[in-house]
Amino acid sequence: MTTLPSSPRPARRPSNLLPMLGVALAALLLYWPLMLWANSGQAARSLASGADLGCSTALACATQLRNPVIPAPGQFASGFRNLSVPPLAPTSAPYNALVTGGETLLGLALASVFGLVLATLLVRSRSFERATLPWLVASQTVPIVALAPMLAVLLGQYGVQGFVPKAIIAAYIAFFPIAIGMAQGLRSPDPLQLDLMRTYRASPAQVFGLLRIPASLPYLFTSLKVAATAALVGSIVAEISTISFSGLGKMLAENSRASDTVALWVIMIYGAALGIVLVAIIGGLERLVTRWRPPA
Amino acid sequence: MTVSRPTSDAPIVSVRDLSMIFPTPGGQTVALKDANLLIMPGEFISLIGPSGCGKTTLLRLMADLIQPTGGELLVNGDTPRKARENRAYGYVFQAPALMEWRNVLNNVKLPLDVMNTPKAERDSRAREMLKLVGLEKFERSYPWQLSGGMQQRVSIARALAFDPAMLFMDEPFGALDEITRENLNLELLRLWRETGKTVVFVTHSISEAVFLSTRVVVMTARPGKIEGIVDIGLPHPRSEESREDPRFFEYATQIRELLKKGHS
Repeated sequence: MTTLPSSPRPARRPSNLLPMLGVALAALLLYWPLMLWANSGQAARSLASGADLGCSTALACATQLRNPVIPAPGQFASGFRNLSVPPLAPTSAPYNALVTGGETLLGLALASVFGLVLATLLVRSRSFERATLPWLVASQTVPIVALAPMLAVLLGQYGVQGFVPKAIIAAYIAFFPIAIGMAQGLRSPDPLQLDLMRTYRASPAQVFGLLRIPASLPYLFTSLKVAATAALVGSIVAEISTISFSGLGKMLAENSRASDTVALWVIMIYGAALGIVLVAIIGGLERLVTRWRPPA
Repeated sequence: MTVSRPTSDAPIVSVRDLSMIFPTPGGQTVALKDANLLIMPGEFISLIGPSGCGKTTLLRLMADLIQPTGGELLVNGDTPRKARENRAYGYVFQAPALMEWRNVLNNVKLPLDVMNTPKAERDSRAREMLKLVGLEKFERSYPWQLSGGMQQRVSIARALAFDPAMLFMDEPFGALDEITRENLNLELLRLWRETGKTVVFVTHSISEAVFLSTRVVVMTARPGKIEGIVDIGLPHPRSEESREDPRFFEYATQIRELLKKGHS
């Protein structure tokens, strides 16, 4: 017989840090000409209207605009400082990102529970699937911007306010990929594996717990990553379109009214970073739970 | 039979006029027609034939994975359903069908987990089985880290873990290379001698059937039926030299003739 070393698993898979840095470098190289090009039009118009920007040419003024299309490095730096210090003040971006992140995580948790129950029902009964799947799809075509204020008002009548309605709106968007992904995962066992359980006289609960659930875990984590970004969008939209006193969405709404483009950029970057952190948390959980898988 | 082991008189499997008809879009397919067969405890029976001859169907009927459309079938003195519910057989499939999230030891423990064997017994029992198939050093490996032959040995250990009276094997070595297959054949014969299980083995290899079996059931297709049964008189224990025995070729020729007869 062929023999393998007793621990053939490679010590570590190659890091993706270097390729990521490569993309960042390319973006930085593109940033400078793109910024000058995007802002010079506005600068030229301001100069033509006789405004005194303290600079002579459109190109020179492109880095000094009050509300630039793309902020210059100095503007980014001061924008970040203004919105991040002190980090936990009610008006600063880190605090509001934490609020939005909390809503998103709570929303994801609600969506996971609901999605799991739904997936189980979908897998157990074909007629349930036929009856409900079109409605589930329809539920996702309703614009969340229209639905969010209505849900907030409705939940407000029952005294559910603040944090929770936004989490529920996030869950509304996130449950769908989880339910569909889990349903596919629960159906993924090989027919032979199902036959095998039958030869053991395994109960339906054992087939579920020992075969279907573990087989579905890779599917669960893939759909959780999709759901996490969807839930983040959901909670930000919910913050924008309902009466909200904190969160990145509320900051976006305020600064959008004030046309403060530098602040909008900074908040956007905080939002993107939040999304990356959420997906990374799920990725870490995935590696922890599915240690048995071969390295990708 | 030249098996030196005592065999009781009551058959462990009895097949009488057994038929299996599958409905198909254009009518129906007769997968098995009026099969008759008695299997005694401790025998090693091979079912051989071309694809479509109903050999896998017959095995799945015995295992209660499908239900017959006609005839009578008794397994372990009872209906196939009762036999399955009493966990009278272990089944080895064409593919190893291991749970990829369980390591080797836990894969062998799977039936014991399902059957609620006392926890203390599960580990020792699974380790014993792994030793039997020579994989005790790999108990912590995951299925993807093993070769195809090793995976199939894990699945054999798993089938034996709960000590069933019978072992049903559906072309277990069909996907393996010839060298690995012949090694596993030797190992399987050793397991059969050591455990005293009744083995029903599906194959499409004549030499494998002759080498392993006490009797070979030759089946032919369209409709699937039993063409004849060949007693294999090669002495036990068998070794690689048994393949050189002139009688080995006689039996192989006999089986080949039967297969041809069904073909014409």
